Amino acid sequence: MNARGLRKYIDDLLRGRRPKQFQPDDFEAAQIRTAIELRAARPGGDAPRQEFLNDLHARLAEQMTGTPPEAVSRLNTTRRQVIVGTSAAAAAAVTAVSVDRLVVGGQAADAPAASGQLTPNDGRWMRVAASSEVADGVMHPFDLGSINGFVRRVNGKPEAVSGVCTHQGCRLWFDATDDRLQCPCHSTSFAPSGQVLTHQLPIAPKPLPKLMVREVDGAIEVFAPTSPIAPA
Amino acid sequence: MTARNEPIGPRPLRAVPNDGYADWEAVYQDNATWVYRTLFARVGNQADAEDLTAEVFLAALRPLRLTASVAEVRAYLRATARTVLAAHWRETLGREITSIEDIEQPPESEEAISTAPQRVAQVLDRLPDNYRRILEVRFLEGNSIKESAAELGISVANAKVLQHRALRLAAQVNDGVQP
Repeated sequence: MNARGLRKYIDDLLRGRRPKQFQPDDFEAAQIRTAIELRAARPGGDAPRQEFLNDLHARLAEQMTGTPPEAVSRLNTTRRQVIVGTSAAAAAAVTAVSVDRLVVGGQAADAPAASGQLTPNDGRWMRVAASSEVADGVMHPFDLGSINGFVRRVNGKPEAVSGVCTHQGCRLWFDATDDRLQCPCHSTSFAPSGQVLTHQLPIAPKPLPKLMVREVDGAIEVFAPTSPIAPA
Repeated sequence: MTARNEPIGPRPLRAVPNDGYADWEAVYQDNATWVYRTLFARVGNQADAEDLTAEVFLAALRPLRLTASVAEVRAYLRATARTVLAAHWRETLGREITSIEDIEQPPESEEAISTAPQRVAQVLDRLPDNYRRILEVRFLEGNSIKESAAELGISVANAKVLQHRALRLAAQVNDGVQP
């Protein structure tokens, strides 16, 4: 028991002063906890002072850039500021390692701007049609399990696009009369090249990813991810 | 076929890219208030809340990688605040009085910052009227003991005793409603 220590602690809390250290027992700890919650429950009482935020900003600028703050900080050095370099920094460094692991790689700048070409990490060339099946002007559908799409000829060379709508993943069908790929879900439509032709959404969905395609020995092949659905 | 059509090596795996902070100042500006409020809810006074908030940012910003997403930065700041608060209690009272819990809500949400208002309302509800009143006028409204005594129509000495007993009972009730 430490009735005086507790009384002083509560009194300091109520006066908005920094409470003093003492060794509370279980019940005193519970009373402190409750007193803290009562103080913290004051509506709007927990907003940080602008002056404090500015001061801390200046201190951080000094730490991060090595530039001293414009005006000499009027902060007196508290015990806490002195220990900053040790315990918390070490603890934070440990935490940082685990956060770091989530974040591999460099800047965000090289993120693909558009859908671009579908390039699986691990895949192989798979036959989607005989060369003779894909004549000029024909939109030939294929389904490899892991991906599906449409292949056609442009100036004699095969081209392929994904057959999945870039809005919410519904499967597209080829509307030969309009020469476009139609989405059954939200009336989005795409040109055979993959460009969006129509949509009814607030923001245009991305164009269809192009697939890697080649023509070898009288067959048209698409580079597709290997998957349990289509084992090698 | 052309080189364009040959597979290239896989790109490095990374978190959602368009969602990070531009620099440490953006991290500070965006997160200082909720970090402070989270700590204030657990120490109950401005002086400690300010010291601990400063400690969190001074410790956290330097090792922080800005490629992290906003959500990752916030989770990291909350984890740092948890460590800093635990150290504060070890140093001052030798035991953990309050803590920053692991929760599912985002750290900047009201539920994550503080459940004190809801918990206090529950506790006050279960107290006798005069106990509830003294805690309200003293802790929530911030009146002096003299003002509180006048408010309740009792002597200052009685107000002190009433506050003492009310806090003891509230602590017992509060422990009963701990999650």
